[in-house]
Amino acid sequence: MSTDTATSTSSATAALAADRPSMVTAKQLSRATATRQRRSAHAKMWIGATCALLVILPVALANVLPLPGPDQQQLTARLLPPLTGGHLLGTDQLGRDLLSRILHGGQVSLTVGVLAVVVSGIIGIVAGSAAGFLGGWVDSAVSRLLEAQLSLPLLMMLLLVVALFGSSIPVITFVIAVAQWPEVARLTRSLVLVEREKPYVAAARVLGLHRIAILVRHVLPNVIKRATVVVLLLLAQAVLLESALSYLGAGPQRPFATWGRIISDGQDFVTTSWWLVTMPGLVIAILVVGVNLFGDGLRDRVRRRKGSDT
Amino acid sequence: MFRYLARRITQSALTVFLTVSGVFFLIRLAPGDPAAALSSPVATAAELDRVRAQFGLDKPLINQYWIFIKHLFTGDLGTSFSFQSSALDVVLSRLPYTITLAVTSILLTTVIAVPLGVWMARNADTAREFGANVVTIAAQSMPDFWSGIMLLTIFAVLIPVLPAAGFAGWDGLVLPTVTVAILQIALISRMVRRDMVANLNAPYLVVARARGLSNGALTWRYAMRNSAIPVLTALGTRFAAMLNGVVVVEVVFGWPGVGSLVVRALETRDYPLITATVLVTAALAVLVQLLVDLAYPLLDPRVRLGKGATS
Repeated sequence: MSTDTATSTSSATAALAADRPSMVTAKQLSRATATRQRRSAHAKMWIGATCALLVILPVALANVLPLPGPDQQQLTARLLPPLTGGHLLGTDQLGRDLLSRILHGGQVSLTVGVLAVVVSGIIGIVAGSAAGFLGGWVDSAVSRLLEAQLSLPLLMMLLLVVALFGSSIPVITFVIAVAQWPEVARLTRSLVLVEREKPYVAAARVLGLHRIAILVRHVLPNVIKRATVVVLLLLAQAVLLESALSYLGAGPQRPFATWGRIISDGQDFVTTSWWLVTMPGLVIAILVVGVNLFGDGLRDRVRRRKGSDT
Repeated sequence: MFRYLARRITQSALTVFLTVSGVFFLIRLAPGDPAAALSSPVATAAELDRVRAQFGLDKPLINQYWIFIKHLFTGDLGTSFSFQSSALDVVLSRLPYTITLAVTSILLTTVIAVPLGVWMARNADTAREFGANVVTIAAQSMPDFWSGIMLLTIFAVLIPVLPAAGFAGWDGLVLPTVTVAILQIALISRMVRRDMVANLNAPYLVVARARGLSNGALTWRYAMRNSAIPVLTALGTRFAAMLNGVVVVEVVFGWPGVGSLVVRALETRDYPLITATVLVTAALAVLVQLLVDLAYPLLDPRVRLGKGATS
């Protein structure tokens, strides 16, 4: 009986003590830098994922959604403002539904972006890890190439390649991948350089493993996660680069006009029909903001787990 | 010092040379008749033969390359089809416009991005800073041609306070500069923040604080001095990138620089002009990088150029 009353009187403090055996209050904890960093990383990831999915889902479902065809012209309904005549984002100068054009064009833009990022990620990780782990001439060759590409008139070279080899999806994908691999390679190289000096690598070497086997089976798994975060951020840049190329008329022409092309088409009408430029641009911006925020939050989290800076 | 300089200049020249060679081989690797590609689109058969003879396209590739190199060292990159004058001269006449735009943009970027980045570093992980963080992410997520058109529509059409296109006067510089700077400010301020956060938490700063220095002195005289090199490197890289990368913005605003020139050259397949543009911009970008590297010892006395210098 007496023990019961004792516990009930001090139950509040006891419960608190059991939870948190220190004088640090919950309020102080919630104000701590680590908590705030974690919270902001979470917020970024959530906002980012929401924004990105807001664009990606409709684009992925473009063929299923009840929309007029992207190339279906209706000359009686030209340059309709948004929310009129059953066109959510209005129509363009040929009476094509803008939303449908944006979503179908987005399929091309996103495909190019994802493919380019996968290719540049593979090239970057292979080249970067080889340079970091093997050192010697491999390292100096890769590093020279990285340095040289920094100082090249990149966009001009890309435009030249597209002009020479045609603006097909494989060419544009390749061009964007070439533009982006240095970023992945540089990061992977620096991560591998750190990882290479760790004891487990020496242990693996003592066990008689081949250098390539050590790199692939032991070192790469430790760096791949942080390298892929950068690859995710590159997706945002790939989408931007593709839109810039297609704005300049060097984007994929088939099967549908991509975002940059829609904007450059609408530019002539910008004074009278603001939505033709504003809407596709907003779609790009929302997607890229989403991917960037998500990647940034993810990077914050991964970085804290690993306890070092990137 | 002089050995370092000589080595760096050789390296830079080599980079430029390899780039231009790359363009040479790209044009010849491309499908189709290079003679058709190297002459104007309306060339007759006789003109095509003349071009073949001029570029020695009937000779083996390696001989062609040798001729190209010889021309390169005499500054002869061929005649531009659309301008009917030396390609190099055409590019050089456009260059001041691009440099003007790049310089004003980098100045605007520096003036805004460095204080912004420092502010973000000093308020790291607060709600205010989170807001600024999201804004900079948004700024680097907008396609620059789109923000250009938007600015143009707002400030030249809806509220006509600034000229819409071209280089009529100095006020024509405002919108292109702002458009270019938006992305750069976002990139640089985030970079400054990252670097300054590390420096503001460094042990030497705790010691300096214990000695009773003001926050301003701590930030600018201590932390910033140590961030100066990475910040300068980033600014230099961005400036070099701008010299090549303002292509899109120049097209949006009809800016008479190298960028809009190269887009026109690509549309008309004006290959001598393209080669000349690549040569000039690559040389310029490499030069900027070299100047940035040479400025290191001024900012940090610990840096000795050329002595065991890596990277």
